[in-house]
Amino acid sequence: MAKEINEQLLAEVVRKVLQETLSGKSESALPPKPSSGVRVSPQDYPLLFKKPEILRTPTGKRIDEVTLENVLNGKVAFEDLRITPEALEYQAQIAEACGKPQLALNLRRAAELTKIPDERLLEIYNALRPYRSSKEELLSIADELENKYGAKINAAFIREAAEVYEKRRILKGMRPFEL
Amino acid sequence: MAERKRSKRFEVLEARPVHKDGFIAEWPEVGLVAIDSPNDPVPSIKIENGKVVEMDGKRREEFDMIDQFIADYAIDLSVAEEAMAKSELELAKMLVDVNCPAEEVRRIFGGLTPAKLTAVMKHLNIVEIMMAMQKMRVRKTPKNQAHVTSATDNPVLLACDAAEAALRGFVEIETTVAVNRYAPLNALSLLIGGQVGRPGVMSQDALEESFELKIGMRGLTAYAETVSVYGTERVFLDGDDTPWSKAFLASCYASRGMKMRFTSGTGSEVQMGAAEGKSMLYLEARCILVTKGAGVQGLQNGSISCIGVPGAVPDGLRVVAAENLLTMACGLEVASGNDQTFSHSDLRRCARTIPQLFPGTDLIFSGYSAVPNYDNMFAGSNWDIEDVDDYLAIQRDFKVDGGLRPVTEEEVIAVRNKAARALQAVYEELGFPPITDEEVEIATYAHGSKDMPPRNVAEDLKAADRLLNEGITAVDIVKALAKRGFRDVAEAILMMMKQRISGDYLQTSAWIDENGYVWSAVNDPNDYMGPGTGYRLSQERWEEIKNIPWAIKPEDV
Repeated sequence: MAKEINEQLLAEVVRKVLQETLSGKSESALPPKPSSGVRVSPQDYPLLFKKPEILRTPTGKRIDEVTLENVLNGKVAFEDLRITPEALEYQAQIAEACGKPQLALNLRRAAELTKIPDERLLEIYNALRPYRSSKEELLSIADELENKYGAKINAAFIREAAEVYEKRRILKGMRPFEL
Repeated sequence: MAERKRSKRFEVLEARPVHKDGFIAEWPEVGLVAIDSPNDPVPSIKIENGKVVEMDGKRREEFDMIDQFIADYAIDLSVAEEAMAKSELELAKMLVDVNCPAEEVRRIFGGLTPAKLTAVMKHLNIVEIMMAMQKMRVRKTPKNQAHVTSATDNPVLLACDAAEAALRGFVEIETTVAVNRYAPLNALSLLIGGQVGRPGVMSQDALEESFELKIGMRGLTAYAETVSVYGTERVFLDGDDTPWSKAFLASCYASRGMKMRFTSGTGSEVQMGAAEGKSMLYLEARCILVTKGAGVQGLQNGSISCIGVPGAVPDGLRVVAAENLLTMACGLEVASGNDQTFSHSDLRRCARTIPQLFPGTDLIFSGYSAVPNYDNMFAGSNWDIEDVDDYLAIQRDFKVDGGLRPVTEEEVIAVRNKAARALQAVYEELGFPPITDEEVEIATYAHGSKDMPPRNVAEDLKAADRLLNEGITAVDIVKALAKRGFRDVAEAILMMMKQRISGDYLQTSAWIDENGYVWSAVNDPNDYMGPGTGYRLSQERWEEIKNIPWAIKPEDV
């Protein structure tokens, strides 16, 4: 009995270590880790054909459940036909392996944004346009992203934008700097 | 005073179409110079503690928002000093050398600043640029994009033209509007028509940024492209964005599983009156690096809607090809222009396209007008549907893959008719203004909107508002099509929606084949290293290109 427990414990530890080793980077550098812990490579691409088993809809359905029959009988709805943070993380891993760190970062920002409702997302985009927001408004959006949605990369990105907008005088109410 | 006696020769020459084109001498102070303005900065980079503290002669404190974005996001600091130490001539040779793999070029070019990238292009002539494009294009197989628009926003005609464009081989179709409020209906016509023509075709609706995102979220479009970036801060702000807002927008698209690329192009800053006296190519190099820094997979450039500007100055069209090449060298997909009327001369029109057509780009046109020029709501394309047999002949003459295939009249009539009927069924299911059998018949056989009977625009616009306000999605369209017996079209649209779950087409330079299989720079990378490598026509594809229906065959004689 004692031996069994030890084996279970060992297996758990090994899994954890393996997961951390495979994910390669420290917690802070890596945005939302796929809950599945699966790692993919360019050989697994396109995932829809080569790794369908790791893909899920946002409501947890498998790819083979996404059929016309199920759309017609209402088992699959529009809400199912969206990307998950996990799938975006897989694509980020593939982009990284192809030597495209910026694309990978974009996909990881996107992974964080999947949870934000469409309308709110459009509002935030518009708030980031020039002369739209005060510095405080931008910082409060950053806080909202971080605290409400766990969107750490995006929050840092918007805080950085707030600094740049202040420096370049493109916050709400500021005049274009060269006029 | 007696009139000057004219040479008959010169009178004939002056009457030629080329004399209607605008030509202008270089004027560097306002940025009317294609490359090598005296005001362009001297390339430089200084890195301290992992940060760029000087770039192209400007200290970090003096950076505008574009400089800062490029320095912090686009330039690979691990290679920058090595890369910037190389001479421009050496870098130019790397682009052309068949023994230097594209990955190595991209590794080094990843460390170059905008001024350095621009300077490298001074050393390449147009043939060398084409040789370099053949190697540097990120996806091995070249493809093409079409414009599908209508002067009257006629929904039936748009569906038919979308279907025909897809059948002819375009992998992407792009629409815009004559009347703004028609936009949702145009998107619907392209979605349905496109999937009738060939399952897997991707459609877009070029409009204001947040509208495009909204309609894409509904599944009515598959991707976006008209997300513009500019090379000077002033023009970027006039475009109502910043590199941060645009990068955020890019992530918004990806977060909904949608493909997107940015748009830029030489001449836009001059046209918007704030080029800061810099050369067009230097400003474009900044756009390319903003795109890369934002993590966007690709860029539409090649001057695009400003082609009249580089088209008017010396060396302009070589530089337009150079901007496509720089995009490739930075590892981005390029949708390479050729998309706006710039010349009255058929000879210039054709010559302008050769640098992209012969070496091949990811999307040679962005796009080719799949409708008559009078129906092209992007102010006309450099080539249109009336030129399509010339295009097919050129593919065949030079054994070159321009992305199109010969089609028969019967096939075209069949897909046009099916697209019109499918749209008719969906309109009826959604309670939209009816599409009559007569309209279906006329659109099936039509050439352009002049052939179509007028529609009740006020009623159509109400339907367009409903499409937007009632939250109608691609799933509603799938259901309507299936209910009315267009099961295959319903399956195709569902397959397009399924792409959003995997996100495979978010990778660089992706297109979707008729089985829903995504091809991109990941699984079809360009491996060109001289003769015998890279993209070669398969026997099957060559047979297709060869067999233009109007060629005389031995058995006909």
